[in-house]
Formats: sequence, structure tokens, C-alpha cells
Amino acid sequence: MKIGNREKILYLLVDKKIKSAKFMDIYRQNSGNINKTFEHFLKYENLKLNLETGKRNSDYTEINTHERDEDEYLRVIDFIFKNKVDLLCIGDDSYPDILKQIYSPPLLLFFKGNKIKEIEFGIAVVGSRKCTAYGREAAGYISRNLSEIGITVVSGLAVGIDSYAHKAALEGKGGTMGVLGCGIDIVYPPENKLLYEEIALNGSIVTEFFPKTPPLKSNFPVRNRIISGLCRGVIVIEAGEKSGAVITSELALKQDREVFAVPGNIFSPASRGCHKLIKNGAKLVEKIDDILEEFSEYRDNLRLLSGYEHTKNTKPHYSQASWIQGNEARIYEFIGYRAKSIEEIVKYSKIEVKEVLGILASLEIKQLIREDSINKYSRLF
Amino acid sequence: MFFKLDSFTLIGINAIRVSVEVHISRGLPEFIIVGLPGKAVNESRQRVRSAVINSGFDFPVKKIIVNLSPADIKKDGSFYDLPIALSILAASGQIKCDISGGSCFVGELSLDGKINPVKGLISMAEEAKKLDKKFFLVPYEIANQASFISGVDIVACKNLSEAVEAFICRESIGKFICRDKIENISSGSNSYDFDFSDVKGQLKAKRALEIAVSGRHNIMLIGPPGSGKTMLARRAVTIMPDLDLEECIEVTRVYSLYEKYVNRLIQERPFRNPHHTISRAGLIGGGASPRPGEISLAHKGLLFLDEFSQFPKNFIEDLRQPLENKEVIITRSHLSYSFPCNFMLIMATNPCYCGYYGDESRKCVCSQREIQKFWKKMSGPVMDRIDMRVNVARLPEKSFINTEASENSNKIKSRIEECLRIQNDRFKGKNISYNSEVGIKIINGWLKNDKKIRDLIYTLSGKYNLTARGTVSILKVSRTIADLDRSDIITENHVIEAINYRVGYGCNQGSNF
Repeated sequence: MKIGNREKILYLLVDKKIKSAKFMDIYRQNSGNINKTFEHFLKYENLKLNLETGKRNSDYTEINTHERDEDEYLRVIDFIFKNKVDLLCIGDDSYPDILKQIYSPPLLLFFKGNKIKEIEFGIAVVGSRKCTAYGREAAGYISRNLSEIGITVVSGLAVGIDSYAHKAALEGKGGTMGVLGCGIDIVYPPENKLLYEEIALNGSIVTEFFPKTPPLKSNFPVRNRIISGLCRGVIVIEAGEKSGAVITSELALKQDREVFAVPGNIFSPASRGCHKLIKNGAKLVEKIDDILEEFSEYRDNLRLLSGYEHTKNTKPHYSQASWIQGNEARIYEFIGYRAKSIEEIVKYSKIEVKEVLGILASLEIKQLIREDSINKYSRLF
Repeated sequence: MFFKLDSFTLIGINAIRVSVEVHISRGLPEFIIVGLPGKAVNESRQRVRSAVINSGFDFPVKKIIVNLSPADIKKDGSFYDLPIALSILAASGQIKCDISGGSCFVGELSLDGKINPVKGLISMAEEAKKLDKKFFLVPYEIANQASFISGVDIVACKNLSEAVEAFICRESIGKFICRDKIENISSGSNSYDFDFSDVKGQLKAKRALEIAVSGRHNIMLIGPPGSGKTMLARRAVTIMPDLDLEECIEVTRVYSLYEKYVNRLIQERPFRNPHHTISRAGLIGGGASPRPGEISLAHKGLLFLDEFSQFPKNFIEDLRQPLENKEVIITRSHLSYSFPCNFMLIMATNPCYCGYYGDESRKCVCSQREIQKFWKKMSGPVMDRIDMRVNVARLPEKSFINTEASENSNKIKSRIEECLRIQNDRFKGKNISYNSEVGIKIINGWLKNDKKIRDLIYTLSGKYNLTARGTVSILKVSRTIADLDRSDIITENHVIEAINYRVGYGCNQGSNF
């Protein structure tokens, strides 16, 4: 077995007493030299180690009072070899530079899928697990457009906004990255299994937690710092006042990232958090340009990356509405932005219900309207 | 002395002939029934003795043996009281018979000689007709049940004395014959005291029910509490076409097995609404001597399963075969019993545990996971047999007092009847009669030359994550919509309307994200 930096770090980390913050302190004191850091720990923490076996040398048993799970080290090493999971450590070249800049970067990253380094420019899209139809559309719209111009959409692989963001971004060039709050061998929530597999194939899945770590509640705020850390900006779509998405945005501010928020209906409790963020200075996002403006220095890069043309993709979607005609156009005009029920539409338009149902379905297929709540429709654009 | 009369026993819904043979001989006084009698048949000895004596006849003090033939079929029920009594009277020479060969008899005797109702009368009358019997002597109270059967004269007698009077003299039998007129069968007037026009708003659900009834598509209504699912389902029966005579007889046959006092031909479409605490035998049919379950009682009508999600999962799986075969077969070690169950299924459920997923004013408190768990229970083969899934929304209060007239049931019914005629013409000579029953082969035939529709279907199934079954359902429903439109071909508009009845809040749950 080749002993590299990652094995050394892993060996230290299976020791419950050595916290990553402490490691980072020493690491920084030693100006980023892992070997020196490692030596330091060996010296001051009374560890005499046998890296080959993972066991400590028997001579030192009585001095060493740490609680160590000796088998953990071998188990993890074993796991990454068997499951085609890669392990990155902080000193590696392929470790994302942007993540190194945060206060407490993860020392180790387990990941599946594309090389992390290839991800040049990430934006996090986060939001409520219990999103509305509007949130779903918004997450899909923004993520799809970001991914199309080569930006990687990073999110937390939860249900709701996260999964819609991932799904939409999978289609584009930028791809998507899911950051887990549990071991990489655990799919949580289980209903995202298909999505998880698809991202593992076409995107990447990252976590700092050791394999078999259950999705504990306390893991998620920790995970959120990686989401924001990997990105240059965080977009919050539909977050309640005290949601995880708001926590992510707070972490993002601490890490000196941009925070964006997509506004919602002022009556809807689902967007309270977003509105609060906007009041506190987060940038309001309506279209992709609102995001790109903040990254003007990268803009040329992005354009090179994707052949992105400023006007092409941000062309307002509603211009589509001009090619609908007749009753379809009449109903579309009537529906407006406040949800209208089928009954109202029939009463106003004096068109028979069977025809109205057909028109509503075809407008929905053309993505001009959406069903807000049961049998109530409003315009999307 | 020996005497013999014909009677019947029931096997499932069918009656078969049983000969009641009586032999009176010298010996120690004794009264024995043989031929696998059940408890109720054995007890009939006491009833017969009292009824004979209380009707003013003598009960012979001799050795009486009654044989029920065929002797290897188990007989249960109180059908044989009357034929046994009459046979004993004839065998003992107290009366002479004029009509015995061409007639048959059923009836339970009361101790005072009154003839009480029995189950399954109409099935027996049909069997009597098949056996070319001339007269069928039945309890007076339920004689009307069988009186529409032509070819056999129903003789209705109140008590044993009347039965004897009819029995001994062919001339006097006329005054007991009961014959209802065929014209009495309802002439299309709506006898329900509720109507589709009672439902305000809910245009989508009403239209969906119209389509569902037209093509006999099974339908699921999904909506929050208080949205009117039950109200809609109850009214679906008012837009179903009237039963014709043959269907009336079929329905009455099932009902006569279920309860004794059915003194008429049932002419309304059955509407069965079993509670979800129902037992398996109650729903499917069964029991020690099998009885029809709710699915058979809904034969030719509607089975409405309210709060579908509350029904035990295995009961729902039990529905699979009956839905496919339109008949339920209950097998016991000695015999198999079959009951018809050609019903249309309407189900209602909330969209999630809390009930408010997708509701406008009340927020659903279920997690996505819980919602999926909720639907997981119902997914699978039964859901595949449900062509239409329709969301029903709660209405704002003001629309309840809306006085605008909406269409009444009769108007909708006339459209549906027209649509059924079109389907009948199309499926003439095939063994199916509704659009919902067609297979994929026929559907492909419809679309053979229509590339536009096929392209549309591909687009839609991609957009809405439809399964193959879902796509087939949409096409079946499109066909019905086209029929309602009197269109020979399925157009894009029909398909696009049909999409409405498959997607929406809760309708396409089960996909992963």
C-alpha cells in the first residue's frame, strides 16, 4: 500500500480527538506541508503509528490514551478501493482551490463521478424541501440556464428545490454536483435514488463524511458550508425563515460568496426567507444575467467556455406567447399571474369546459402556465 | 305411497333442479330427510308438521322419508318446506295433484302455514323457464321479483291452503298467477332524488365523470377533505344509461341472493359504497356458503370505494381479477361458485396523509417522502387499471350559493347513451363493449396512419414521465372523448384533453423525482 498524504490525514482523522480545526491550525502553521503537520501530531499527540496496518505500535500502548477505532482506518481504505470512490485530501492538486479558502475546509473529500477539478465555476442553488409549483419551475429554469452556459449547479441532493435544480442542471454543459450530509454509500433521502445514480454517472457527488455515516441532523449545517464553499455564489429559492437554505446563505456570506435570492409571492409563506434575504441585501434574481453581472471578471471565461451569447439565452421566454392564437391566446391573457380556477376561466371565456381543459393542458405543455394549486392555473411568463 | 315434486337449490348465482321425493310407508312413525340436508333443511320437519296441521290437514302418523335428489349436492336453506308439505299431503292421499309434472315449488313455511320468502327466486324462475316448466309456485310476498320472466307462470300463494288450492285444480290456478307488465319497466325518467346539477363548479370532475361513464373507465377522484368527491361519485349513477330488461334481471338475481324481501325487479343502477372496515368476504364475496360481495352487488352499476387509501392493501389486490374478468369465482373444497361483477369502479382519496396537498388555502404538512409513501401503497397493478385520475379542488364558499343553472343528469345521460351506441357499433362481434376494455393491438390499429398523434404521445410521455400503461390509458380515454365528439378519428385535441385526467397533484406520484 502506498502511503500518501490522504492516508496520513485519514489516519489522524479516525482519531476522535483530533479535530479538523486543530489540524488546520497546525497545517497552516506549517505553511501547508502535510508531512510536517503529520510529524507534529506524531510528536505531540504521542502517536507512534504503523500506517501499513493501521495499528498503533504496541510499545506505546500505555502512553496512548486516545480512543481510536483502529479498524475504521482500514475499513475506509478498503471501501474506497472497492467502490470506485475517490478520496481527495486538502493538499492534493485536484482539491478545489476555492474550497481551500474557507475557514474550515474539509480535510478529506469522498467523491464519485467527474473530477472535481474540472468544475471551474459553481453556483449553489438551494431551497426548501417542501417547495411549491412556482419554486419547482424557478429552480428548473435557473439551473437549466446556468448549466447551459457551463456553470456547475451545486446543491444538497435533498428533495424539493435541490432535486429539481439537480435534475435540470444534468441536461446542460455545466453539469451538477451533489454534496451529501452522510456517507457516500448512503442515499438520503431514499426517494432520490434514481437522481443519485444519474448524478454519480453524469455529475459528481461529494461528501466529507466517512462511509456509513448516517444522515444525522447535525451533519447538514456542516455539509452546507461545503455547498457554499465550492461555489462562487448561492441562489436561494423558496426558503422559509429558518430553513437550511438561509443557513447556507449565511455561511456563504462568511465565506465571502455572493448571495442571491429569487423572490416569491408576497402572500406565500414559502418565500419568507428569500424576501428577508433580499431586504438584508441579497441580490434579487429574475434572470440569469442578474447572476452573471456579479461575476463580470469571469464572464469572458464563461463565454469562452460555452460559446455563450449574451442575448441568445436570456431572451425573455414570454415572447413565445406571441405565437399562440385564438382561444388559446384569449385564455392565456385571462389567466394572468394570480391563479384562476377552471370554473372562472370557463365562466369568463364562455368556451366549453372540454375545450378549456385541452387548452390548459396544451399551454402547460408549452410551459406558459402552471397549475398552482389543484385546478388553479397562473401564468409562468 | 310415493310422490315427487320439483324444487331448486342455489349454487352461487345459478339455480339447479332438486327433486323432492316423498315415500310414506308403514312402520314406526318417523320423519326423515336424506340427500345431504343442511341444518335449515333438517329443521324444516318441524315447520312442515306444524304448518300441515295448522292448515287443517292431517299429518300422517307413518314412516315418512324425504329424499332430495341429486343426493350428492349439499342443500341448505328453507326452500323445501312447501314442496315437502305438498308432497306429503299428496303422498298420503289427502289431495290430488293436477299440475305436478309441469310445475315447481319453493317456499319457507311458517308454523301457521304462511309461506315466507326465500332467496334467489329469480334465478330459480329462469331455471324453471329453461326446464320448460309451466307453473312456478312461489311466496306471495316476493312474487313480483320473478314476474318479468316470460314463459313460466308465477303462481303467488300466501299460505299453504292457497298453495293446495292452486295445486289441486288447474282451473283455479289462474287467480294466483302474478304477471307484471313489461311496460312497467322505467321509461327513462330519472327516479333519483339527486342530480348532477346539484354540484356547483367542479367542471373538470364532472366532465371527467361523463367520459368515465361513457367509456366505462375506472376513475379515481383525488382531493382534499370537503371537496365533494363523494357527492360527485354518488351522482355518477344518475348519468348511467337505464338498465334494459335483461340487465334488470341480472341485477335482481344478485340482489335476491343478498336479501330475501326483494319484491320487484330492480331497475336502478346499483350504487355500492362499502365502508373501508369491510371484511374480505364482504367485499369480494364468500363465506361458508358463499354469498355475493359488494363487487357483485355493484354488478352493472357503480362500486364506490371512498377513502380508498384506508382499504387494506390485500383487498385492493383482490380486485384485480374481478376487474379483468367481470366475474368472481369463489372456490370451496366441494364446489366453485361464480358471481357476476361487471361494475365500474370509482375511487376517492385524499392526495396525502394530511389531506391538503395541492390545496390552495391550507398548507400541506406532509413531507415529500410521506406523500410518496402514501401513494406507494396504491401503486401497482390496480392503479394500472384506473384509466383516469382527477383532482377535485375545494370550492370557495361563495360558489355554493351560486344559482347559475348547470346541466342536469338527463342531458348528460343522453350524450352518454349516444356514445355507447357508437362503441357498440365499433365492437360489434368482438367480445368487448367499451373503450376501456380494448387492448394495445386495437389501439395501435387506431393510430396506424396517424404519425402526428404518435409524435404527440411521445412528447407527452417524456414530459409527464408516463409509463407505457399510462400512455395506453390516455389513448383509451382519448378514444372515448372522440366518441363523445362523434369523431371517427382521434385528433390531437382529444389526446391533449385526455392528458388532464392523468396528471396533476398526486395523480402521477410514484416517479422518483
